[in-house]
Amino acid sequence: MTRGAAWLIVRGAVAVAVVASAACGPRRVSTTGEAGPSTVVLLAEPDGSVGRAAVTSTAGAGVVDLAADRAATTVVGRQAPSPAATLDAATIDARFGQTLAALPKAPEAFTLYFRLESDELTDDSRALLPGVLKAVAGRPAPEVGVVGHTDTTGDAKANYTLGLDRANRVRTLLIGAGVDAALIDTSSLGESDLRIRTADNVLEPRNRRVEISVR
Amino acid sequence: MTGRSIVALLVALLTASPALGQSPAPAGRIKLVGGMAFVVHEGQRIPAAVGTPVYEQDSLATGADGRVGITLRDDTRLSIGPQTTIEISRFVYAQSDSQFAFVLKVVQGVVAYVSGHIAKLSPDAVRLETPSAIIGVRGTRLVIEAGR
Repeated sequence: MTRGAAWLIVRGAVAVAVVASAACGPRRVSTTGEAGPSTVVLLAEPDGSVGRAAVTSTAGAGVVDLAADRAATTVVGRQAPSPAATLDAATIDARFGQTLAALPKAPEAFTLYFRLESDELTDDSRALLPGVLKAVAGRPAPEVGVVGHTDTTGDAKANYTLGLDRANRVRTLLIGAGVDAALIDTSSLGESDLRIRTADNVLEPRNRRVEISVR
Repeated sequence: MTGRSIVALLVALLTASPALGQSPAPAGRIKLVGGMAFVVHEGQRIPAAVGTPVYEQDSLATGADGRVGITLRDDTRLSIGPQTTIEISRFVYAQSDSQFAFVLKVVQGVVAYVSGHIAKLSPDAVRLETPSAIIGVRGTRLVIEAGR
């Protein structure tokens, strides 16, 4: 226990040191002692959809909503963020192009379905496994997240266990197909994250699934 | 045992137990590196390489020619450009007990962010910070430049 407590204190000290040194960084290079300007630009997803971002100053002055492709705002010192304005594509490319090019490939998702009250995959889902292997092979430092889900038949606790059984079943199939076991992490969400919303105790094949993310 | 020693024991147990658990899972892994780049993990500077794990409270920094791309466990993606320092201040992705948090500090430089599952499941749990700005997100791809 004492060792545990001492370890905790050491960890705390390290965390504070990291934060403190980080906080010193910009202050050293700034001549005014004020934080340098920050620019935030919202970008559309490749499918054309656009999210939202709300920007405030650390001093708490004003909020600016970004809700369109290339909408940008800048915060200078303790002032409120500038009104949202569209930044042209050439400027975005010059300032952010190199960084955007360093974004890793988007994770690839696979959904596998199970027979009723079982940890056996449907035939269609079994046929998806080679695609998972291909996604793993095509990535640097690949990782595979495997999350088991159930429908609402039966009680929540049993469904948590069934979800975990399903995730482990898929893990075994992936290992058998040649995926390195060390790359796979399995977990269960039981009946807590339904794909198709239903009442309790409803048979729903589309909720009996394992979701795989290859990242 | 006196009431006081029971209280002392309880306090010791409560404060010690988080540290007694096994080492935490990494928040994510480096997928792409160019130029000079390193991770600061528990005060140690580690050269960044493809596959290097990144933990909550780690920092990443690049030199004049550096860039790094990371994918986090919730499918969030981040990349940083040259002369950039960031810190993964908080990363909590515990699906089974619905605990979610992601706090990214951009100390300086250029960062691209593509939101993952945490932003979908619990948008208010995501905060991106620079020395002058705080950014909240609702499922988003964005870029940030923090002045030098």
